[in-house]
Amino acid sequence: MPTVYIDNEPFEFEPGAKVLQFCLDMGLVLPHFCYHPAMSIPANCRQCLVKAGMPAKNRETGQVETDDNGDPIINFFPKLQTSCSLDLADGMVVLTQRTSEEVAGAQEDNLEFLLINHPLDCPICDQAGHCPLQNQAYKFGPEGSRFEFEKVHKPKRVQLGPRVTLDAERCINCTRCTRFTEEISGSNQLTIINRGVTNFPTTPPGTTFDEPYSMNVIDICPVGALTSTDFRFKARVWETSQTASISVHSSKGVNVDYWVRDNLIVQIVPRQNQAVNKYWMADEDRLDYRRFNDDRPQNGPEVRSGDGSLVPAEWTDAIEAVAALLSETGKGKLLFLGSAHATVEDNYLLMRLAELTGNAAPVFLSHVVEGSGDGQLVTDDKAPNAAGCRALGMAEVSPAELKSHVAKADVVYVLEDDPVAAGAISTDDLAGKAVVLHYHRTTNHLLTHARVALPAAMAVETVGTMVNVDGIAQRLRPAKAIRSVNRSLVMEMGTSRPDRHGTPFDRWYNESHKIDCRPSWDLLQEIAEKAGLDLRFKSPSAIMNDIAGKVAAFDSVTYDTMGFGGARLTTDVSTGAS
Amino acid sequence: MEPEAKYESKAGDWRNYKRVLLPPVKDLQKLDVYRANGGYEALRSVLIDEKWDPKSVTEEVKASGLKGRGGASFPTGLKWSFMPPVKPGAPRFLCCNGDESEPGTYKDRQLLEYNPHLVFEGILIANYAMSIDVCYLYVRGEYADWITHIEKALADAYAAGLLGKNILGTDFSTEIVIHKGAGAYICGEETSLMESLEGKRAYPRIKPPFPAQRGLWGHPTTINNVETLACVPLIISNGSDWYAAIGAKNHTGPMLYGLAGHINRPGIFEYPSGMLISDLIYEVGGGMRGGKKLKAVVPGGSSVPPMRADQIEGVTMDGDSLRQAGSMLGTAGMLVLDEYTDMVTFLRRITHFYAHESCGQCTPCREGTGWLVDIVTRIDEGGGNLRDLDLLIDLCDGMEGRTVCALADAAAWPVRWTVTRFREEFEAKCRDSVFAIA
Repeated sequence: MPTVYIDNEPFEFEPGAKVLQFCLDMGLVLPHFCYHPAMSIPANCRQCLVKAGMPAKNRETGQVETDDNGDPIINFFPKLQTSCSLDLADGMVVLTQRTSEEVAGAQEDNLEFLLINHPLDCPICDQAGHCPLQNQAYKFGPEGSRFEFEKVHKPKRVQLGPRVTLDAERCINCTRCTRFTEEISGSNQLTIINRGVTNFPTTPPGTTFDEPYSMNVIDICPVGALTSTDFRFKARVWETSQTASISVHSSKGVNVDYWVRDNLIVQIVPRQNQAVNKYWMADEDRLDYRRFNDDRPQNGPEVRSGDGSLVPAEWTDAIEAVAALLSETGKGKLLFLGSAHATVEDNYLLMRLAELTGNAAPVFLSHVVEGSGDGQLVTDDKAPNAAGCRALGMAEVSPAELKSHVAKADVVYVLEDDPVAAGAISTDDLAGKAVVLHYHRTTNHLLTHARVALPAAMAVETVGTMVNVDGIAQRLRPAKAIRSVNRSLVMEMGTSRPDRHGTPFDRWYNESHKIDCRPSWDLLQEIAEKAGLDLRFKSPSAIMNDIAGKVAAFDSVTYDTMGFGGARLTTDVSTGAS
Repeated sequence: MEPEAKYESKAGDWRNYKRVLLPPVKDLQKLDVYRANGGYEALRSVLIDEKWDPKSVTEEVKASGLKGRGGASFPTGLKWSFMPPVKPGAPRFLCCNGDESEPGTYKDRQLLEYNPHLVFEGILIANYAMSIDVCYLYVRGEYADWITHIEKALADAYAAGLLGKNILGTDFSTEIVIHKGAGAYICGEETSLMESLEGKRAYPRIKPPFPAQRGLWGHPTTINNVETLACVPLIISNGSDWYAAIGAKNHTGPMLYGLAGHINRPGIFEYPSGMLISDLIYEVGGGMRGGKKLKAVVPGGSSVPPMRADQIEGVTMDGDSLRQAGSMLGTAGMLVLDEYTDMVTFLRRITHFYAHESCGQCTPCREGTGWLVDIVTRIDEGGGNLRDLDLLIDLCDGMEGRTVCALADAAAWPVRWTVTRFREEFEAKCRDSVFAIA
């Protein structure tokens, strides 16, 4: 293996790598702005400078020349090199800011240059707190500035498109955004205009920055120049908690971080996963966050009373009502409707419940909208877990089939789905039938017919697994707290987050942001217990272990193997309607 | 007032020199006049004589010692030999760089106006030597009138069968495309010239890969200056020995000297390389205007370090001599400043130029050029501090050699050397300032 000496330490490397990426892979910090691993290397920010050289070789013998101490003589390049564009070579010596004062000085000079025209917006800037310029200026920059002139003024709020707002003064011209539109999304909607110190990115005349992936430039912008029109000035980074989970807007399972403040989702940003979404996500996924906050049930579980209205009930009463319904109903008269919106664990428990009560196995509806996908991160299938249902062996039904199933049943048990909104059945089809409903939002059409309505935790409130369209099983982690205490959820929440959800003693705390709902895997177990059936698991991870042992497709898929990157199922689940 | 001839000029007997790049022939820009004076004979010889093949042409140019006239003085033959072997079906390009925009440099314009066919002939021979089928002649957009001239000349050459398919009845075919710049100095930098030709924003590219490996649209490309290519037919017709015998040993050939500033006879003058600066000012340029004393000389366009009057003694216009004297040859476009010149105001104008022309790609240049002009302007307007002078040098340290292309160096050198060599003037202005710190 060829060897490179970075700060006098030897490292073996695979040929073809660049110095900066190699250092980052090795955990060595080098400041940089314009470099992004997914895009071309322009080497224009000039921040990642290093001193590099090769051992001097005798021209005739090819032997490395040594000095009096026997150490090899190094011929350093006359200029400092940008490590992002520098190819690693066998025997190369690289000195970074840790070992070379010249390099440290050059990086300091460069940061001083970067900051002279950068506005002092940090106190009001969205990027402050997670800003590469701020962080690296503190770490590698000069103590102060020697600039005594008026900074260059540029447009402060340019509406580049419907979703992205530019603050041109903050821009450091790294060209990440223009390269994104050239190389990643291919829309070519951004370009740099003007020259010299008045440069900034904008759209060509007469066009608007409205491509479906436009908001990714906000994440890759190393300063606060490109901001989300929606999120701008809404929350500071240190007021929010970030939870690594997945987006449930489409069947792609895009890896995301949910940003939560006071138990409301404030924005969704993509998280890197090379197997799924690389670094990106579609704008529609990102702006989907409102459904986790709006139209949520505020009354807890409800049971239909004698006069036909839904009346708030205690959880135990509601659960007993469901258990009684399960026990009373004759075998084969209960229809269980699984859901591509619910997790693998929830659907599995529903299948077990159907089995234990002696009813037909649950079926599920697909939510495919033909032609709505773009072949990349937007898929035709609008539900996140159809592949998971299929992998469990659950049968997919067409709307017509579902209608006939419903007609035959006395009780319809619906898990986190809305077959009316999906156009499969109408509310008239439910006349005279008892409906048990696990639901997320008050817009669910079945609420008008539900005998018992149980608010279920949404994807951002629960622990679970979803299988994406490519057959990769990925974990959901709770970003929002629910009102009741659940040990599994609390353990997944981590230690820092409960603080940011506030307590009733915090002035800004709003109790209504915590929804009185429970995860379906919790409800189903308790309903089974009340009905005298044996369906008890210690935790969602125990459910998954059980699935891994019993369902071949999920062989060796556990919470540990999924981790943050997901685990590929052993069988192909991509067939079907996706 | 003619100084004594105590220094030897490397240009030899330059007073009896016969001009070859811009010969004194009336209407030479017309094709028939050019051909009547032996024009396109070098091309005919190269295409038809057994003696010439692409390799021998390149070797002849190498032997002549021709160095690029665009500023960097890179050996032309060597540059040509960097082109990779021909791959069938893969295009190769030549760019002829006529984007001269540096203050003090206007020699290519004279060539394109008075002897365009010599440039075309040079391009054709270069294309032959490197097996290239298209040359882009990139001309500065401000030269609108001159572009009309050369478009006319190019049409004549096409009509006469000297360009296009099967030139002079041989199987050699090549094209010249004239491309107008849009008024950016940075487009004269070879890699940003290619970006500009590709229709992109003229941001210089990082090297490596060099243009010979990956140039225009990713294909092997060579970029030569207009004057460099104009020398090529002369080398072919008269031989490399003849060429190498002209002027300074290490920087051979005829050279177009641009004289500008406070002299009696500014203009472009063709003489052998290696002329004494004093000869150029006091004889060729007709001496200082109004009999003033010389204060400073900027020997090669505004980006090279300015020299004090006492530094030019015995210095000749070639790379070695000027480097020794602490400056550079650049494009040999000389700015001459007399004793009444305010060097702070002079530097203010120069820094303004570079701040205006920085493309803004690299941080040190984008921010540094703007900062330099701010500081120099403040000193010039009487608000400067003495510490500003050290800051200027410090900023130059932070800019030189830290960017993709050499524009940051070109912007920093004049600042560094004007402040260093004329420091007393800067200090005087700072001391007059109310903010002065003694």
